[in-house]
Amino acid sequence: MNVKSIMECERKNIDKLKKYQLSNQFKKVGWIIFGIAFVALFLTTKDTNLKLIAKYSILIGLLIVSISKEKIEDELVKNLRMHSFTFAFIFAVFIAITNPLFSYLANFVFTEKQEPFSGIGDWMILWLLLSIQVFYFEYLKKMHR
Amino acid sequence: MKNRLKIERAILNLTQEELANKIGVSRQTISSIEKNRYVPSTVLSLRLSNLFKKPVNDFFELDENEKANA
Repeated sequence: MNVKSIMECERKNIDKLKKYQLSNQFKKVGWIIFGIAFVALFLTTKDTNLKLIAKYSILIGLLIVSISKEKIEDELVKNLRMHSFTFAFIFAVFIAITNPLFSYLANFVFTEKQEPFSGIGDWMILWLLLSIQVFYFEYLKKMHR
Repeated sequence: MKNRLKIERAILNLTQEELANKIGVSRQTISSIEKNRYVPSTVLSLRLSNLFKKPVNDFFELDENEKANA
């Protein structure tokens, strides 16, 4: 196998990865899962397992919405989607980095306790990434109507 | 980038929706191009060129600051 054929093989694999999107019908499914999980999260107060399932179902719902195609998936939509992913990535990383500092300062100012620095948590980072992407994408689409 | 898409569309007596269907995009894309909110790809520009039967330069024009390095 020469270098050219290896590169061609790699390119084909990358092209396959680009077709990660689900069809438009899945968008509704995603919103329904998100809606049910969101309501379930507020209704469950004690059962921690159920709460955990609801929290992760919210993420699954948003992920399905995020990777579902629009009715007409043209180049403008792809462009807006790319912008929303970029914005979500930068915003989520910024929040993840600055949050421990802000929570430390808030604790110090309001409770005068010197709590140790604590991270933002995996669920919160994923929630930030997905929710910002999905809602910013909807906002961008609205701006281009 | 300035464009004459609205004028060319009027010459062919097409609505945004009809033009969008002819070149396989959404109405929002046509509207965004006309309002200069979105710069179309080369493929889309050439599809428009085929439809209008005119070169791309006839309905898309660079701004002065975009011409600077030419």
